[in-house]
Amino acid sequence: MRLVLPPSWPLAVRVPLVVAGLMVAVSLVIGQVVLHRLAHDQERHVADLAAAYLDGVSTAVLPAAIRRDVWEAYDALDRARARYRGLAIVSAVVTEPSGHVLAASDPRLFPVGALLPEALLERYGPDGRLVIDEAAELAFLARELREGAVPVGRILVELDIGALIAERRAVRWTLVGVNAGLTLLLAGLGVMLVRRMLGPVAILRAHVAAGADGPIRPVDEAVIARQPAEFAALFRAFNRTAQAVAEREAMAARLAAEEKYALLGKLASAMAHEVNNPLGGLFTAVDTLARHGDDPAVRARSIGFLRRGLADIRDVVRAGLVTSKGRVGEGPLTRADLDDLRHLVRHEIERRGLSLAWRNDLVTPVPLDRTMVRQIALNLLLNACAASPPGGCVRLEARVAAGAFALTVRDDGPGLPAHARAVLAAPDAPPPGGGLGLWTAARLAAALGGRVTPADGAPGTSITLRVPVAAGALADVA
Amino acid sequence: MTPHRATRRAALAGTLALLARPARPAGTLTVGLTPVFLDSDLALLRDLDAYLGQATGLAVRLMRRRTYQEITALLLAGQLDAAWICGYPFVQHAARLAVVAVPLHRGRPLYQSYLIVGSGHPARRLADLRGTTHAFSDPDSNSGFLVTRYLLASAGERPETFFARSFFTFGHRNVIRAVQAGLAEGGSVDGYVWEVMAEREPEFVAGTRVIARSDWHGFPPVACLAAHRRAPTVRALAEALLGMRDHPVGRAVLATLQLDGFVPAEPALYDSIARMSAVVRAQT
Repeated sequence: MRLVLPPSWPLAVRVPLVVAGLMVAVSLVIGQVVLHRLAHDQERHVADLAAAYLDGVSTAVLPAAIRRDVWEAYDALDRARARYRGLAIVSAVVTEPSGHVLAASDPRLFPVGALLPEALLERYGPDGRLVIDEAAELAFLARELREGAVPVGRILVELDIGALIAERRAVRWTLVGVNAGLTLLLAGLGVMLVRRMLGPVAILRAHVAAGADGPIRPVDEAVIARQPAEFAALFRAFNRTAQAVAEREAMAARLAAEEKYALLGKLASAMAHEVNNPLGGLFTAVDTLARHGDDPAVRARSIGFLRRGLADIRDVVRAGLVTSKGRVGEGPLTRADLDDLRHLVRHEIERRGLSLAWRNDLVTPVPLDRTMVRQIALNLLLNACAASPPGGCVRLEARVAAGAFALTVRDDGPGLPAHARAVLAAPDAPPPGGGLGLWTAARLAAALGGRVTPADGAPGTSITLRVPVAAGALADVA
Repeated sequence: MTPHRATRRAALAGTLALLARPARPAGTLTVGLTPVFLDSDLALLRDLDAYLGQATGLAVRLMRRRTYQEITALLLAGQLDAAWICGYPFVQHAARLAVVAVPLHRGRPLYQSYLIVGSGHPARRLADLRGTTHAFSDPDSNSGFLVTRYLLASAGERPETFFARSFFTFGHRNVIRAVQAGLAEGGSVDGYVWEVMAEREPEFVAGTRVIARSDWHGFPPVACLAAHRRAPTVRALAEALLGMRDHPVGRAVLATLQLDGFVPAEPALYDSIARMSAVVRAQT
């Protein structure tokens, strides 16, 4: 059946079709058996009747055949025709041993003294055996007439079996009709039954499909209670799975939030450090001004120092403000949006004794969400800092080329572990047990319509964010 | 089968009947009937039996045999008081037989032999039937055999050479059946029987056509052994036959047979048949 029915056809169609096919096959077999049996019985019945006819006629005809008495032979045939009403005798012929007609029930067709046509004789089988020509609806039976061992002639009878054939035909059509009716009925019932049986599958499919657009909704217990035992068990298993997925997603959301707070903590720590760094010098400058403010040169130097220190603090605070308060969809990505990140990672770079190589080739704003790109870049940079050994270098390159925005962060670390690669390869998978930096970057990249792909550097690791940018939007991008 | 072979067979049957010779019980009238008439009509036989019984006061036994020869043999053997036979066997045994009575058909004790063919057959006279299959009634029948045999002999022909094939049907009805069915192309039949059949069962003769009618010959007589001519039973039978038209049952029988009654007759009535018989015998 698999060869005949396309697998794409629904079960509600395939199962009834299979049932109908089997029914047709069964009815064909049964029909053949019935018709064969009917034909056999009919032939036996005809053969018995014809033999009885020949028995009677032979007895009456034999003396006439011995004496070659035309009239008596004819009279016997003529009377027998009326006597054997169960047989539709087309013709009965008595021939002499020479083959010439002695008498026939229809003398005009077979005149006395004529030879029977060869074509007719060939239609008869061996004496005593009924030969049926179904197409012509005729049967032929011949018997030799003997007086002791001496052949005195032959009697040949041709029977019209049209009634039997018609009966057989009627039986055949009745079989076909009944079987076709039963097949259609069973196929119809099959459609209804299968649809009814597959009803729970439709419910399950609806719940699974709904899960693609939002949280997976469990099946109501009231609905489960109405299902057959197998499907009730399946639904409960589905509900357990849905619950597990929901819990895992909630946990992932919580982890992401925690990661965000951790990031915020790091940012806050970095900002505090960055703010604190110039504070000592600023206080020194303030003391110098208090003490030697009268001296214009000292005053000017101290005020300059204060101005630079405060400018540094302002840059750090501004970068922090953009990162923490920025909301999705706030505006296009600018060169400065990326350069700001340097202030946020400088503390981490210095703490770990690293150097930062920065190459930002953006000239004009890129139509990408600035907040999301900054979050991805910050995650990648902090990840690179964590991976690099002391004295290593973290490099950032940003550019627009070949219709895409590309941002690459390289480090001198030992390379990306397998679980981290898996996270980048399948951002839709549940969050890993470990760090969420790369997972968050990958999910944000997917949300932007791009992806984050790793490549092994020599030494270290290179991770690139690539996001396609609309051609029109890039027209004014350098 | 040829007519001669049939004659021999009938003669043998007659001899056997003579040897058997069972005694006829006293007070009975035994009458033989040949297939000359409508012997298949059982009602007619019942009425005839009833009439003869009433008219003669005797217990009547009507004996039927398949062939003329059998009845003639029984009559000659003294097994029958009388028999309704054909004129041909009567003239063959004229020395031993006497006429009891002769039927009147259309007012005359005469009838003809008809030569019939299938209605679609082109033959118009006997000569046209050369090489055909022919049905005779009985080798001892005047109208059903002798007349045609005589006509052929007169022309120097014999049935076995003139016809491709000929056979006996032992009944005038059967001759008509044989011709109608096409078993024979032509047939020699009693003209009286053909006419009665044409009137009573027109569809029965519808498939046949008369192409020749013979001269008039003496109607088949009821005959007895000449030696028994004056026996009481024979006389009673003669009176019953002659008075048949005066009795209601007798009239019913006559009406069925389409006869006008019975009359006495002299053997000379059959001289024409005797002449034909002599011609045929001379050829043999």
